[in-house]
This record gives sequence, structure tokens and C-alpha cells, in this order.
Amino acid sequence: MMGKLLSAEFMKIKRKGIWFLTVLGPIGVVAMQMVNYGVRKEYLFRQNDDRWGYYLDNIHSFTPLAIVLGIVILTSFMSSIENETNAWKQLMALPVSKMGVYLSKFTVLSVLLLISSVLLLLFTLAFGISLDLGGEIPYAGLLKYSFYPFFAALPVLALQLWAAAVSVNQGVPITLGILGVILTYAGYALPDWLIWKWPLLMNDWEEPLINVLLGGGAGLILYAAGMIDFVRRDVK
Amino acid sequence: MLTILKSEWFKLRKSNIIGILLAGPLIGLGAGIGADTAEAAGMMNEWYMILIYMNLPYAVLFLPLITGVLASFVCRYEHQAGGWKQLLALPVTRGKVFAAKYVLILLLVLFIQLFYLAAIAGAGLYKGIADPFPAAIVWKSILGGWIAAFPLVALQLWMSVWFKSFAAPFAVNVVFTLPSILAMNSEKVGPYYPWAQPFAMMYPATENGDIFFIPWEQLITVIGGFFLLFYLGGYFYFQRKAV
Repeated sequence: MMGKLLSAEFMKIKRKGIWFLTVLGPIGVVAMQMVNYGVRKEYLFRQNDDRWGYYLDNIHSFTPLAIVLGIVILTSFMSSIENETNAWKQLMALPVSKMGVYLSKFTVLSVLLLISSVLLLLFTLAFGISLDLGGEIPYAGLLKYSFYPFFAALPVLALQLWAAAVSVNQGVPITLGILGVILTYAGYALPDWLIWKWPLLMNDWEEPLINVLLGGGAGLILYAAGMIDFVRRDVK
Repeated sequence: MLTILKSEWFKLRKSNIIGILLAGPLIGLGAGIGADTAEAAGMMNEWYMILIYMNLPYAVLFLPLITGVLASFVCRYEHQAGGWKQLLALPVTRGKVFAAKYVLILLLVLFIQLFYLAAIAGAGLYKGIADPFPAAIVWKSILGGWIAAFPLVALQLWMSVWFKSFAAPFAVNVVFTLPSILAMNSEKVGPYYPWAQPFAMMYPATENGDIFFIPWEQLITVIGGFFLLFYLGGYFYFQRKAV
């Protein structure tokens, strides 16, 4: 059943601009550094002898914001498909379980975000090489900065999908998302327990892997809570 | 015109818009209370310090982003079940409907700015700031931020009339708002980038003789120019939109 639900979900997101946004996110993050390095390359090169590391840090200054806002937009899009035309009833009238529907939405979103992460890796690498930063290419760091934020942002994904799926008025989840992205933006000054800070990959132990593991754990809990709530609700 | 505005208000009254209006000022309040203003004590008026701390998350991200939510909000009923048809079947012109919705969003943004003013005062009182409250500067900041939102609201209303979902206009908004983090640091681009204007207009600069914190030319050409462009774009789009 899952396979069919997934192919139905992928069919529904065609020609809605969702794929476009999936590609635009990583392009935007790297394009921001193209402008940054285009305007003041010499200055940025002088900042740090580890030019690759510094470049990756610069890329990472926008990744968390882009991923949190991307989650807000995509989750709202995914639930608008049914929300706009009151199609939840029609969908649920099919021989599918509500859990399956919820899981398929979450899976599609994860796949889209993972594709974004892969593209981010490729674009970061390509622009980095074209900048002629010199020295060894830090593949480990590249992988870390491309994929860790996705895993660290899983709780935000679970929370936003929950909010978007149960809200008739999509203004509510989007406002929640704006509050979230502001917490990400100001995250460096905030305590570690806030899930919106996790994509920054900062914590008191200075070990980004903790954010990844926490993200997976808390993401699972929030996912389960959201799914249970969604299943118990009346279909409107 | 006034009657259309009134009916728009009725449509909004029973929705949970108040929660959305309070979200930003609460963020500001949090930033103000969490701000470490003690270092400025004695050197400069602590109110400036608290204003700068609160403006950073509020004016850079929140204010530009929330305009999109408000614009989608006031178009929500029309996008459901043929609402545009019902509304435009009434003896109203499309131009007036568009103007009424625009004015309504501006009023909502003004409410948010006034709540934010209360948040500034609240954060200052909580911290027990003894310096005199720089009323003129703070009012300039509040009203300046409001005026800076004019072109942003116009573009978002255009997008919200166009797209049915909340997500699409919001995506457009995000695409333009995020680069303002870079643009506001640049002396060359910052003054010309519409989404960086709320921050520029709310930043408490020292007296420069102008009414607001940015030069008159910038206010009229950038904010006024983009307002005209976006408002007319939305206006003419709405005139030709098939409902």
C-alpha cells in the first residue's frame, strides 16, 4: 500500500512548483555566497588561512534558515493539496489508512529535503572548486555541512507537518514557522533544548553529531505525536 | 469604499488573527528581555541598546515575512468555494476591493507595530531602565517600519490574489527576504533593496535632520517606487483575473 500511496503523493506534487523550490533552496544558499565572494573575495580570503573551512562556514550561515523556511513552505504545500479543495474526505474514503497517508506525506517531504541536501553538496563543491580555494577539498566537512542540518531539522519537519495537516487555516502553521525561523536566526544566543537551534549544529559540547542524533530521536517522537493526533481527528 | 473595508473587517473579526498579530511583538519582547544591555549602561541611552537588540530578529525577518501571512489571510475566504465570484457580484469595483484589502493589511501591520511599541516599553520596564525614554526616536522607528512595509504588502497582496495557497506567496516572500540579511550589510545594495528597508527604517540612527532614519530620496524612490510598481502590478492583475 505504501508504494502506491507514495506514487500518488509524488503525482500530486507535480507542476505545483514544489520541485522547483526543492532545487531553488540549495541554489539560493550557494548563490548567496556567490554574491558574497563575488563582491569581496580578497577580503574573505584574508579572514582565515583555512579557506575551505571558512567557505563552508559561510555556506552554513544560510543553510539552517533555508532548511527551516523550506520545511515551512513544503509542509504547507503538501497539506494544501487536500486542504484547498476539502479533499481529505475523498482521500480517506479510499481503502487507505490515515497512518499510511500521514507517513507517505512525511516520506515525500523527507525525500525532497534529502534531494535538496544532495544538491547543496554538489553546488557547494562546484562553486568551491571554481573559487580556487587551494588545499585539500574537505570532503568530510562537505558531507557534514550538507546532510547534518537535514537530520537536525527532523523535529521541525515533524512539528510543521503536524501543524499544517491539522490546521484548516494555513496561516497558523506558517506563523509558527516564522517564529521558528527567528529562533534559528537568533539560535546562537538561545539554549540547546530548542529544536529550532539544532540545524545550526551548535551545542555546548561542540559536537554536531549530537544534534543529528537528537534530531532523529526528537523527530521520531514528534512524528508519532503528530500522526496519533492526525489519526484521531475528525476528517473535515 | 468604507463599506467594503467594513465588510472586510467583519470577515476578519472572528478569525484567530489576534494570535498572528501578537506573535512578532512577543518575539521582540523575548529578544528585549534576553538582551544584555548592561554593557551600554552609562555610555549610551539603554533604550537604544534594547531597540537595536529587539529590531534584529523583528525588522529583518519577522516584519517582512508576516506581511505575506496577513495578505494571504485577507484573501482566504475569497479563495474558498467561489468567494471571489460572490464578492465581485456585489455592486463594487475590483479596484476598490483591491484597495480595501490593501488598506486593511496596512492597518493590521500598524497594529503589529503598536504592539511592538508596547513590547519595547515592556522589555525596558522589566529591565528597569532608568534612562529617559527617547519617545521621538522610538516613534520614528515604529512609523518608519510601518511605511517600509508598504511595498512589501503590495507585492504580497498581488501574490495572494494570484495564488490560492498560503505557501506559494510565502515562498515568494522568503526568496526575497532571506537575501536582505546580506543586502543590509552592504552599503551599495542595502539602500536599494526593498526587503532591507524595514530594518533601515527602524534602526535608531543619530539625528540626521531627516524625518526618518533614511534619506528622503531613498524613502521616495525606493520605498515609493517599489510601492507603485507592486501596487499597480497587483491592481492590474486583479482587474484581469478570471474569477
